[in-house]
Amino acid sequence: MQLPTRVFPMTDPMSEKTHNSTDSTTPTPVIVSNTFVQRALHNTFKRWGARIGLLWIALLTIFAVFAPIIATSYPWLLSQKGIITSPLVQHLSAVDVTLLVAFVNTGVLWVLPGSAQQKMLIFVTVISISFAASYVLIKPPKLAIYEQYRFNQNTKNIDWVITAPIPYSPQDYLRDYGDTGLEKPLAANNRSHWFGTEENGADVLSRMIHASRIALAIGFIATGIAMSIGVVIGGLMGFFSGKTDMIGMRIVEVFEAIPTLFLLLTFVAFFGRSLYLMMVIIGITGWTGYARYIRAEFLRLRQQDFVQAAIALGLPLRSILFRHMLPNGIAPVLVAASFGVASAILAEATLSFLGLGLVGEPSWGQMLNQAVRSSSFNWWMAAFPGGAIFLTVFAYNLIGEALRDAIDPYLNKS
Amino acid sequence: MTNQSQQPAANSTQKSQPLLKISNLKTWFNAQQNNGDDIVKAVDGIDLQINRGETFCLVGESGSGKSISALSIMGLLPKDVTSHPDGEILFYPQDQQNSIDLLTVPEAQMRDIRGSQIAMIFQEPMNSLNPVFNIGEQIIEALLLHHPELSYAAARQKTIKALTDVQIPNPEQRIDNYPHQLSGGQRQRVMIAMAIACEPELLIADEPTTALDVTVQKEVLLLMQELQQRRNMGVLFITHDFGVVAEIGDKLAVMHQGKLVETGSVDSVLFNPQQPYTKKLIAALPHNLKQHKPPQPQLDINDSNHLIQLKNLRVWFPINKGFLKQTVGHIKAVDDVDLEIPRGQILAIVGESGCGKTTLGRSILRLIEPTAGQIIINGTDVSNLDRQEFRPYRKTLQIIFQDPMSSLNPRLNISTTLTEPMAVHNIGESQEHRLQLAVELLEQVQLNPDYLWRYPHQFSGGQRQRIGIARALALNPDFIICDEITSALDVSVQAEILQLLLELRKQRGLTLLFITHNIGVVEYISDETAVMYQGKIVEQGVTDQICGNPQHEYTQKLLSAVPRIAA
Amino acid sequence: MTDYILRRLLLMIPTLLGITIVVFAVMAAAPGGISASSLVDGQNLDPEARREIEVYYNRIYGLDSPPAVQYLRWLNNVSPIGFEFDENAEIKGFSFTKGSDFGKSFRYGRPVAELLSERVPITLLLNTISIPIIYIIAIAIGVYAATRRGTQFDVISGGIMLALWSIPTMLAGVLMIGFFSNVQYWHWFPTGGLSSSESGRLPFMPHWGSLRDVGVFTLTTVFATSLSVWLAITGSPIFRAVVIALIAIAAAIVMVLALPESSQSIGWTILLPITLLLLTVPIALSDYTVLRIAYLGFLGLILGIAIAMHFTQDSFVRGFLFDRIWHLILPVICLSYGGFAALTKLTRTAVLENLMSDYARTARAKGLAEEDVIWRHVFRNSLLPLITVAASLLPSMLGGSVIVESIFSIEGMGKLAIEAVQTRDRELVLSITLLSGLLTLIGYLLSDILYAIADPRISYD
Repeated sequence: MQLPTRVFPMTDPMSEKTHNSTDSTTPTPVIVSNTFVQRALHNTFKRWGARIGLLWIALLTIFAVFAPIIATSYPWLLSQKGIITSPLVQHLSAVDVTLLVAFVNTGVLWVLPGSAQQKMLIFVTVISISFAASYVLIKPPKLAIYEQYRFNQNTKNIDWVITAPIPYSPQDYLRDYGDTGLEKPLAANNRSHWFGTEENGADVLSRMIHASRIALAIGFIATGIAMSIGVVIGGLMGFFSGKTDMIGMRIVEVFEAIPTLFLLLTFVAFFGRSLYLMMVIIGITGWTGYARYIRAEFLRLRQQDFVQAAIALGLPLRSILFRHMLPNGIAPVLVAASFGVASAILAEATLSFLGLGLVGEPSWGQMLNQAVRSSSFNWWMAAFPGGAIFLTVFAYNLIGEALRDAIDPYLNKS
Repeated sequence: MTNQSQQPAANSTQKSQPLLKISNLKTWFNAQQNNGDDIVKAVDGIDLQINRGETFCLVGESGSGKSISALSIMGLLPKDVTSHPDGEILFYPQDQQNSIDLLTVPEAQMRDIRGSQIAMIFQEPMNSLNPVFNIGEQIIEALLLHHPELSYAAARQKTIKALTDVQIPNPEQRIDNYPHQLSGGQRQRVMIAMAIACEPELLIADEPTTALDVTVQKEVLLLMQELQQRRNMGVLFITHDFGVVAEIGDKLAVMHQGKLVETGSVDSVLFNPQQPYTKKLIAALPHNLKQHKPPQPQLDINDSNHLIQLKNLRVWFPINKGFLKQTVGHIKAVDDVDLEIPRGQILAIVGESGCGKTTLGRSILRLIEPTAGQIIINGTDVSNLDRQEFRPYRKTLQIIFQDPMSSLNPRLNISTTLTEPMAVHNIGESQEHRLQLAVELLEQVQLNPDYLWRYPHQFSGGQRQRIGIARALALNPDFIICDEITSALDVSVQAEILQLLLELRKQRGLTLLFITHNIGVVEYISDETAVMYQGKIVEQGVTDQICGNPQHEYTQKLLSAVPRIAA
Repeated sequence: MTDYILRRLLLMIPTLLGITIVVFAVMAAAPGGISASSLVDGQNLDPEARREIEVYYNRIYGLDSPPAVQYLRWLNNVSPIGFEFDENAEIKGFSFTKGSDFGKSFRYGRPVAELLSERVPITLLLNTISIPIIYIIAIAIGVYAATRRGTQFDVISGGIMLALWSIPTMLAGVLMIGFFSNVQYWHWFPTGGLSSSESGRLPFMPHWGSLRDVGVFTLTTVFATSLSVWLAITGSPIFRAVVIALIAIAAAIVMVLALPESSQSIGWTILLPITLLLLTVPIALSDYTVLRIAYLGFLGLILGIAIAMHFTQDSFVRGFLFDRIWHLILPVICLSYGGFAALTKLTRTAVLENLMSDYARTARAKGLAEEDVIWRHVFRNSLLPLITVAASLLPSMLGGSVIVESIFSIEGMGKLAIEAVQTRDRELVLSITLLSGLLTLIGYLLSDILYAIADPRISYD
């Protein structure tokens, strides 16, 4: 109804014009946290929806980072004739190592004190060094022979072995078992596949865990690209208005009039199917929304008194744009971005589902596609990867919605 | 100025009949914040009685609970968050023997009373009418709701009659207009027509003229007064403006923090207030403030004495229409204005909304680019300088804004807000020095230096306005434009801000351009006054002369419309 | 207004140009691009034949000329006015009446216009059925949730809508087709397409062999529907929930029994009753009478039809109409659930905003009942954002059709689009782009005009 309960204790919301005025005594702020961002985040993660969403994303991140350790055919430790080796470590790739380093690094920096800028700097340095180092130093064997360790195991050639909780690599088709093919979840007699196997005999769960990397990476990077393009173009349109705005809006209209999926299809079909290309493509087809948001915000903010004051104070354009306008206009963009991550993941899944996605590496959408193409309907091949897409998209949407509710004071209570 | 003194004589027999009697009304809100249940006592035990044919004014600053009281009478508060732990609102309808307690009456019966026996009009005439229905439909809807026996044609006739009553020209045609096709004053007339269409016995008016220009306010007030007398309605008039009270009120109650501080006849409360709060409020009215006018320095009529000179300044906005969006005309916001602002003086620009005064102010700072004309600062024409060339002048010219909510960047704390411009203009040797300067600025605007590390949302409106002043002063300007800086403030805060400005002017020898629509403020603060109307300055001169002896027709109309408290 | 529409129509031309340029540039800039060699790449041919074919393609489609020339030539062909060429590709003159030629598809070897005129109506059929469903559900639930902000109904419906919105269309489609169309489970619906192969021979309306069967069918469905509607209106919520729960469990048992031997398992016996209970009982307990009546009545109707079909199966001839509906049910569900989920949220927000508005307060102050305030005053204003969204709904639904059509093997424009890009069919890709862009722009224009009709404040002069 009329009264947004969160604000009315202070003032009389019925009289619009005198609404702003209060007496000169200090009002006692309810939350004494400092910046707007902190308040917004506080309000966001107070909501259970956002918490659940965040929990799932965190879980997914852990799966993504530790995928080659959790789900691998290579034993963690192996003792053969008294010599202890770790086939797992030998087979880790440069990317795997960099990811692990980044993960540990983030954790350590989170705990340590220090300013955000310092932390950022340390983070970037550590990542670049470890990336470079691991590319030079780490040379995993080119040929992956998954069976060799199982073979040794079966022939009792070894003393003892510690295997991963899910002892199957995503592309391990279990050729050594001979009877490879479809298995229902938990149906195989001598080995357990929690989520069953696909037609070639690879473990569905293992594939899903490895595919979570693609989902997360696509989500973040594609959205990052889309957001950067959108913010720059939208910001220019909003601040300079006039001709710039008119031309910009025409471009936005052009991109919006093509159904996004169709544009994506064309791009992917013609440009091939590398993961990085896919990120870029999803990014450059999805920027128009951000541009619109930031343009509208900038047009609104330009008229705001504090921006006018900044101009009147003779502040340089850089400061007006990045210090006074962008932080105040970015909120709706961030909300859109968290929905955008969801739709980027969905876009990748859709492309893969339509058979235009990645080849080689499994992705959730591609697994769904596999389920459709197989001659019979095997529900576990569709339900599990599809469910993972759903949960991830749902999680981002939950976070996005909580973020929007936290930022929009008008509908604050719901 | 007023004719309210003669009017109580009429209908004295009916006068004493009570129409509405509120006793110990309490309206509480349970705002569930975080975990704790906070109870906000918006109205905390008020008693008042409104008689037939009487205008009862409820006055208070914002947040005092006056609108909530009105909505409590109407039963329009959201049920899920409000409670009335105590009190009763007794309504005495003419055709019934007994009184009705509006707090306990069933919702269905309350709906019958609403609109037919008690009607209400609101502050914002634009938002208060449904934009997608024409005004006729909206009034007819109310009529048919309470008089289902009427035919549609008859209701339409009655609506035209009601529109005639509120002096809408051409009501037969206007009835089919949509709200956006009417001016603000006309919309408020339509609201009044809707309210009186069912001939209510009690009319509640919640700040009905606050959003209107003073000349329109005058007309609406006269209209309400006339209708009230003709129909012998009781009127509960809610306002923050004592001038309006003096104009139309019979009785007056002053409200503060949910309680009635003082009740009595208008004359007795206005001229002989008993309670300290009432005294303070009345003393804060601009015309009651201690006059400050220093002896006028003798001015040579010499260019060098003018800090700012405007020559033929013109800000036109093109109107583009038609198939090819060609420019078919211009909105002449500022139209060939010549103005000189003498050094060390306060020049007020007065005018009603849309007259171009704000555009004029902003075009001097080139926040809006002038279409033509010259802006001469200290003898230099700056109107054609580019961004870089103009930047040094920004130091000398500053502005303070109307809306204290939006004039500070919510993401920056006060120290950044104050020191960033200093750094840009190389004021202060180091950041520490600049912080020291910022502390001094806060002291100058009478704020606690600890506030430096706070964010804007932690301040009240008045405090923000002080910070706005401090920001303007940060660059040591010679000239400050004050754009309606007190119009969003309560009268007591307004008085403090005005006094602060005068003090600062004395200390720093500032030149001020004071843009306002409030004649009282103009009379108090300014040395010279320019009256603006439709983009042009129609009259300019020494304030006392303009206000005492206006020459131009528009100035005369404007001044006579200002509601005043006549002694 | 006419001026405005004309202006907008003219402005469409540069936008459409832009769209086709973007898509053409994507194709031309790609490695391999749209050369003749990329067209023959996949085919197993000896080099001689390959060269022959390449030369042939180059001659017919001009694939060897620079991309800009190719685009301009295509543009000239497509635009209704333009230059005319003679056999030697020399400009013969400028003509205003030459008409549009969309060219021939590489892959199908048929005129693109012909292909599109077959495919587009199918996609439009899917969308025009879905859009009203989307709006009706969104408005019914959104308005109710907004007026009861913060209640259980609001919170739960909000959560469900967000979840629905997050379900990928392909997951829903794959599961639905897998469980409800596959012989391994319940073979209730066709596995794909828009009509059975014999539908051409069927009469339009469905019919039964004997009058008795018609009677049985009608009686059973009417009885089941009215019983569930009666249940939805009367009785205490507890009674209602218990009865509904019993029916749901009974239905679940029947469904398990209906499974083929190989698929019956203990999992289904547990999962099915739970799913059906979750789908029915919360709604039976809801205090939203209209929703209850609609939902339970609908379930009753389905149940009635299912029972009736069981008894009258032998003599039943589906007829073209029934056959079409039968084929459309699953695709339309897939196409609409995401839309109404998103739109419900939007409706709720819009209504909420308007409920708090000043004019709603004025309406209450007039003495209007809350119900009238909502449906007369608030609702009409809340429609405005919904009209705006209708425009952006169209492109996203065209995108959705791509997925749905490929899952359900419906030969619509979406499926054609996938085939076109996969086979690098230049003419087809460009024409589909042009057409979907045009549809989208017309959608925008229509929604702007509707907006002006609904909101008297907007006038395009």
